[in-house]
Amino acid sequence: MTSALDRFLHTDRLPHIWCAGCGAGMVTGAFLRAAAKLDLHKDTTAIIGGIGCSSRAAGYLDFGTVHAIHGRALAFATGIKMARPDFTVIVFTGDGDGAAIGGNHLIHACRRNIDITCILFNNSIYGMTGGQASPMSQEDDVSVTAPYGQAERSFDLCRLTEAAGATYVARGTAYAGRELERLIRDGVRHKGFSFIEAVSQCPTEYGKRNPPKGAIAMLEDQRDRSVSAKEAAGMTPEELEGKLITGLIYKDESAPEFQESYQRMVERVQQDFDGTS
Amino acid sequence: MELWYTHLLREKLDQDSLLVQGNRASALGALDAGVRFFAGYPITPSSEIMETMARELPKVGGVFLQMEDEIASICACIGGSLTGEISMTATSGPGFSLMQEAIGYAIMAEAPLVIVNVMRVGPSTGRPTAPSQGDVMQARWGTHGDHPAIVLAASNVVDMYRLTMAAVRFAQRFRTPVTLLADEVVGHMRESFSAEKAGRYRLSSGDFDFTENYSRPDLVREVHPPHQLGAFRHPHVTGLVHDETGFPTNDPQKSAEFLRELHDKVAHHRDELCLYDVKNEGRGRVCIVAYGSCARSARAAMDLAQHEGIPVEVLHLYTLFPLPVEILQRVARRVEFMLIPELNLGQYAREVRKMAEQWTTVISMGKIDGTLITPRELVDRVSDLVGKYENV
Amino acid sequence: MAQASATAGRLGSRRFVETRLGGSGGQGVILMGVILAVAAARDHRHVVQTQSYGPEARGGYSRADVIIANEQIDYPQLQGADLLVTLSDQAAKHYIGGLRRTGVFLYDSDEVSPPTVLAETYAVPLIRLAQEITGRSQSANILTLGAIVALTELVTRPSLERAVAEMVPKASLDLNLRAMEAGLALKPEEWRVV
Repeated sequence: MTSALDRFLHTDRLPHIWCAGCGAGMVTGAFLRAAAKLDLHKDTTAIIGGIGCSSRAAGYLDFGTVHAIHGRALAFATGIKMARPDFTVIVFTGDGDGAAIGGNHLIHACRRNIDITCILFNNSIYGMTGGQASPMSQEDDVSVTAPYGQAERSFDLCRLTEAAGATYVARGTAYAGRELERLIRDGVRHKGFSFIEAVSQCPTEYGKRNPPKGAIAMLEDQRDRSVSAKEAAGMTPEELEGKLITGLIYKDESAPEFQESYQRMVERVQQDFDGTS
Repeated sequence: MELWYTHLLREKLDQDSLLVQGNRASALGALDAGVRFFAGYPITPSSEIMETMARELPKVGGVFLQMEDEIASICACIGGSLTGEISMTATSGPGFSLMQEAIGYAIMAEAPLVIVNVMRVGPSTGRPTAPSQGDVMQARWGTHGDHPAIVLAASNVVDMYRLTMAAVRFAQRFRTPVTLLADEVVGHMRESFSAEKAGRYRLSSGDFDFTENYSRPDLVREVHPPHQLGAFRHPHVTGLVHDETGFPTNDPQKSAEFLRELHDKVAHHRDELCLYDVKNEGRGRVCIVAYGSCARSARAAMDLAQHEGIPVEVLHLYTLFPLPVEILQRVARRVEFMLIPELNLGQYAREVRKMAEQWTTVISMGKIDGTLITPRELVDRVSDLVGKYENV
Repeated sequence: MAQASATAGRLGSRRFVETRLGGSGGQGVILMGVILAVAAARDHRHVVQTQSYGPEARGGYSRADVIIANEQIDYPQLQGADLLVTLSDQAAKHYIGGLRRTGVFLYDSDEVSPPTVLAETYAVPLIRLAQEITGRSQSANILTLGAIVALTELVTRPSLERAVAEMVPKASLDLNLRAMEAGLALKPEEWRVV
């Protein structure tokens, strides 16, 4: 069956590599629907993925796509956006790619407030390499590198990116596809660095060692744990324990965007420069 | 096309009597060669390249980025390169190590870019303000996997200018990263530099002309059609082994063909890539083979030895990789000794030995105390060799 | 006894001259080296200028080396000094060994304890003179440049003046030009140590 979204896909590259029940396809689907609403131009949209299951999405999409090296998609994207400010630049990354090896690039992209949209697929595990712990694995989560349970704490990526200077911060889930689509759409429209955490499920590597079992149960868990940002505002920390705060979490439309600030600096320098020569 | 002066005239300097620092000359060479994208991270003794770019690029509407580390710097350069910009970064040993994974990506994705490595004593933090040539093998084999490398070496301020331009040209024509090696002395020294010196490079390997008709060079035929963002309609770029469509392939035959082509595009063009200069050709029993700062010691030693009645030949290499096999073997056939002074313990001497030892005795002269090899030290070693020979 | 400026006066016409300028941090020795090199470049001569960097430059002494020649300079570092100038005792002690016997030594007579060398020697209270003439001891480096040219004609006077004008901050240009003139006005034979 062909769908209206096929025009954004390299259908000849399908079927995809993701396992049955994986959330990566659902997040990618939300992105495709957002792309259709935004009517993204294929020639001037660059999608950059790092390394990992989520990042593979870039290879199926019929835009200008770059499959970069592990953790560095945002650094590639920064170069692309600065060289081609007219491009819509979107990064697909995962919790390992974006929050572990690429964590430094993430906070600096936030700090610069460069007009890039970063969609981080968070499935709490390294799926492609066989189920190792990630910085988003929760305490006591079992993985092949935390066989007795994770002793480390995890990040709250939305609080991290907000504090680091991102001007659009949102969290959605694979379960709530329509909401995620809307959050991605608004994130791409936002001028500045947009960070969208897409909570996803990995039934293969995470689900087989940790409850709940199976993709359906994991999706239901996303639903049950979700609390909208608005509701969360009236809840105590104890009540919010273990919950996922979803929806738009932070937005600032007044902060200067890096590429534009750079361009203004260039114009000022060129003016002064021409004036004296 | 206007070169060099474009930038300096605007600073109202007299182009006939400039005193220019090596690192600054490299940045100006890049600008004259059309580099309009620079991303870097400060590190001694290379930072003046970055500082010059920070000053100059905004004036010409280019992009200058100070990134959060060297990994981000080179990745941003690759991003710029994928949009068709000529990108450049500059660093020293520790930063060069951080860049290695991405250099492999740029080789695989055929993304042209220029990396200047102003070498200092290592390993680790080493001695940031002392010269070394310890990164020669890192420049050749630093990234993982089987890969080609184009590596140039600058010996003076004029080289910093001209070889940066050569690096840009090679990067564009071969669509691969090109590394220019310098050392702390070459990077930090200031030298007189006249406009006429900036033009043509007259070398034994052939004149290398920058001034006339400088434009984007044609690609060599082995290069895949570039998958440029925004130009090619909607390409896919990957560090995975891929075919000419840009998409990954696991087909053994296609993999081997592609990787072979990456090598061939460099190996088949050694005559174009290998820049060198021979002094006192055929006039000695000993040839000093040298690059970078050591080539200056060698040239001075040649004159000193001449003065003392010992004729010495000098082979000054501006291209280290691809290995200039033809000239090395030609020289090896006619001399009894090849003496290779280096500010390391014989990294390049081992390469030369592989090429030349069936015809001549290759002798490594390494120094790692953070000082240059003096002409006197070289002449003493040469006399020693010649004397030994006479006693046999 | 040879004429007072016998060796010094001939330095400027030599085809190859190696100069080392030494002092302690903050005396502006590096700037002195750069200005001398720029002036030589203005004279259309071949020049290489190197200097101490980093921790070395922040320690007790720093140096700037300048090689001036009529042909291309191969080896870029000093192999010996034809001219050694020191503004501090520590620098003098550290660098005196590299001075050629046929060379020239100029030092600050208030700062440096008189050394025993075979080289032709000139002792001038450079820092004190700068303080007296400009009110700023920091201008001693520019005064010293004037003194070097008065002594050796290593670079031409117009080139030195242009180089100083280019390299020193605009706000202190007049002061520095006065310091330079004072240096240029020194009569070598009055300061020679015999």
